[in-house]
Amino acid sequence: MDHYQYLLLMVACLAATAPLELLGARVYRQPGRLTRAVLPVAVAFLIWDALAIAGHVWSYSPRYVTGLQLPFGIPIEELVFFLVIPVCGILTYAGVQAVARHLPGRRP
Amino acid sequence: MTGLGYTLPAVASVAVVCAAELAVLRTGLFRRAAYWAAIVIVLAFQIPVDGWLTKLSAPVVLYNRSATTGLRFPWDIPIEDFLYGFALVTAALLLWEYQQSRAEGQAR
Repeated sequence: MDHYQYLLLMVACLAATAPLELLGARVYRQPGRLTRAVLPVAVAFLIWDALAIAGHVWSYSPRYVTGLQLPFGIPIEELVFFLVIPVCGILTYAGVQAVARHLPGRRP
Repeated sequence: MTGLGYTLPAVASVAVVCAAELAVLRTGLFRRAAYWAAIVIVLAFQIPVDGWLTKLSAPVVLYNRSATTGLRFPWDIPIEDFLYGFALVTAALLLWEYQQSRAEGQAR
């Protein structure tokens, strides 16, 4: 199971933020808008990741990743990270707005 | 590399994201209470998630000592990670909001 540690952590992040959608965040219900927000950012951070790996700025423990890699030695987990974390951030923001809408006299 | 190969890009990423909002996107995100509330919540959740990834006892991600300031807090999280996380989440939120502002502009 050690090899799935990083991936499982990302699954936990998705699971922890999923209820926000039910609270009225309406993020997954706008897949086009979500894709256009997350994908360009993921691409930018993947490029940064490739440069950092090539420059030996950081590396990944082979013990805690699956070993599946994108070009430039980027672990597949990093791609998942760059998709999951922004989605969690947007869900949090939209979740805060959804909760604020229920507060009387407050503008989100 | 002696030049803080993570610290400088991390600072630059925050500058780029802020400049993109102020000069190009102009979504007004930074004036929204919901954004700052979301950032505080994201930061709070970054600590356990990132703390797990960077813990020195069993690190998933390993940093080149010469690429960072060496300041790790809380637990073993390199402080640069907080700039990185801020830039990642804020960039996605800016694009999320940008599409909304464009859609509203077109509807008018």
